[in-house]
Amino acid sequence: MTDPAPRSPASPPPLLRLTGLVKEFSVARGWGRSDRLRALDGVSLEIPRGETLGLVGESGSGKTTLGRCILRLTQPDSGAVEFDGIDVLGLDPPALRQFRRRMQIVFQDPFGSLNPRMTIGKAVREPMEIHRLGELAELDQRVDALLGEVGLDQSFRPRYPHELSGGQRQRVGIARALAVEPEFLILDEPVSALDVSVQAQVLTLLRDLQQRRGLTYLFVAHDLAVVRQVATRVAVMYLGRIVERGTVNDLYAAPQHPYTAALLSAVPHPDPTAQRDRTVLAGDAPSALHVPSGCVFHPRCPHIEKDERCRQEVPALRTVGRGTVACHHAGNRG
Amino acid sequence: MSMSPVLSVRNLTTTFATVDGTARAVDDVSFDLHAGETLALVGESGSGKTVTALSILRLIPTPPGLIASTAQVQFEGTDLTRLRERDLRHVRGAGIGIVFQEPMASLNPVLTIGLQVAETVRAHERVTRKAAWARAIEMLHLVGIPDLEQRARAYPHELSGGQCQRVMIAIALVCRPRVLIADEPTTALDVTIQAQILELLTALQREFGTAMLLITHNLGIAAGIADRVAVMYGGRIVEIAPTPELFADPKHPYTRGLLEAAPRLDGPATPTPAIPGAVPPATAWPAGCRFHPRCSKAWERCRTEPALLDVGPERTARCWLVADDNGSES
Repeated sequence: MTDPAPRSPASPPPLLRLTGLVKEFSVARGWGRSDRLRALDGVSLEIPRGETLGLVGESGSGKTTLGRCILRLTQPDSGAVEFDGIDVLGLDPPALRQFRRRMQIVFQDPFGSLNPRMTIGKAVREPMEIHRLGELAELDQRVDALLGEVGLDQSFRPRYPHELSGGQRQRVGIARALAVEPEFLILDEPVSALDVSVQAQVLTLLRDLQQRRGLTYLFVAHDLAVVRQVATRVAVMYLGRIVERGTVNDLYAAPQHPYTAALLSAVPHPDPTAQRDRTVLAGDAPSALHVPSGCVFHPRCPHIEKDERCRQEVPALRTVGRGTVACHHAGNRG
Repeated sequence: MSMSPVLSVRNLTTTFATVDGTARAVDDVSFDLHAGETLALVGESGSGKTVTALSILRLIPTPPGLIASTAQVQFEGTDLTRLRERDLRHVRGAGIGIVFQEPMASLNPVLTIGLQVAETVRAHERVTRKAAWARAIEMLHLVGIPDLEQRARAYPHELSGGQCQRVMIAIALVCRPRVLIADEPTTALDVTIQAQILELLTALQREFGTAMLLITHNLGIAAGIADRVAVMYGGRIVEIAPTPELFADPKHPYTRGLLEAAPRLDGPATPTPAIPGAVPPATAWPAGCRFHPRCSKAWERCRTEPALLDVGPERTARCWLVADDNGSES
């Protein structure tokens, strides 16, 4: 199930490489019985340094679990996480603690992830204290600098999260993540809780920070239109598997997996004159408790060539054209 | 659309007493909803769109909420703001159906879904249990619940979010109301399920001839299914126009800003231009035009508030830039 993505020999090694990640959870059913929920089913990915990978999928596709496995907030059952040549899953606790400085996460709900009784200044300062970065005396200066970098100013230091708007809170979440000077950020739906007019502010900030600090992002989102604005490459997940990978340009212009195509066609378009061929997928959102046989997408797949093979045989991720796709029928459409 | 409206809202003002003072969540809102049409009420959080919807059916908790006595909500010849609670209960559900954002939270967790639909029929019509159940099954079939025999006896927690929203739609439409209020009906759902639910809503609306007041923050959804769009900001309607005209030529700078900020699949693959600042709290709307502190076109005159000005047939906008005597902008 593992598949090393093809790279040209000239390209530098990726900052992050995931190989065949598998994670199962056990879900209690009562009476001492339990079901197995396969959240990740052999996920392999690479992110080159300084790039943004957009990870797209609907709820239950495993994208959040993937982020947690990278940070080792969740221990995967098998597979490998390699960060800058380091085997992350093999780190012992003290080494892991040191290592965590290098990757941070920004959550969707900035209100839920900030301590309501901690001032903004203290919230941004805390990670530096934990990781013992810098002299105590200069920390306040660093807090001010960080607040400035995310578009706030030092007047926010004594304030509490409830006094801030959603966009301002998300800026604090970003400042907090940047406090330990990481190289890699997992952005887990960072703008989906924000209003449209504010979303754009935060996306612009993230792009500027990436350019200024040379950051690498894993941008987890369900909104394809948002991902397109920030990512260079995209991976589409469905029921714990990557079903398609490619550059933003290729994947949006010519999606090869029927699920990617359906996702794109489902995005509401702010233009009433746009005449589009809409593919509305039948069937319910899938459940990782009842993973279909063969291609996990086959019960909802609208592809005209859907056949017995789709129901029986799991399609491997393979290179088709300039992208990578897990569909038996990709590439032979005429 | 010259026929008389099915729902006519005039001077709706809803305030809430808060520790920070009085919040004017909805401030002097007027609009008409015509038979069979879809009017989208578009705005960001805090713009007053949900409070507008709830105020129509008097679902505002009082106190702290209060609907000003100047408000009128005309529905089928009666003013809902003056109606006795008992009579109003027959309007809710039978005359005006409502679908909320969180289907899981709106259904009763201890009743089967078939019973919840049947209960709605029994609340409004004098029918036997058996007849009500038959109507429920028919309606659940119409909204596309699969394996009906089993599913009708299922509890909400056994259903997915999309199926729960289908049940909510069944409850809202089973008595064939003339008006459906849909408050962010797909916001909690995944994008492929959202497409299904929107398709279902428009199909049923066409079949039953229901007028729909669609509340959404998503301009794409409004563009896809609304006949007309009303844009709200700061508790006020700032622009109303037929959908094609609003998207082709937005008159209010806020509408324009929202459209430019909306992420889209065409256009440049870079972050869209944002509107600077944030929506102020409803306890402290700025004086004058409520958008002027965030507006790039603001000038002296914006310190006093314009009325909704006519900018074409069936189009109004609340902005001095479109005033006849202004002349600086066509």
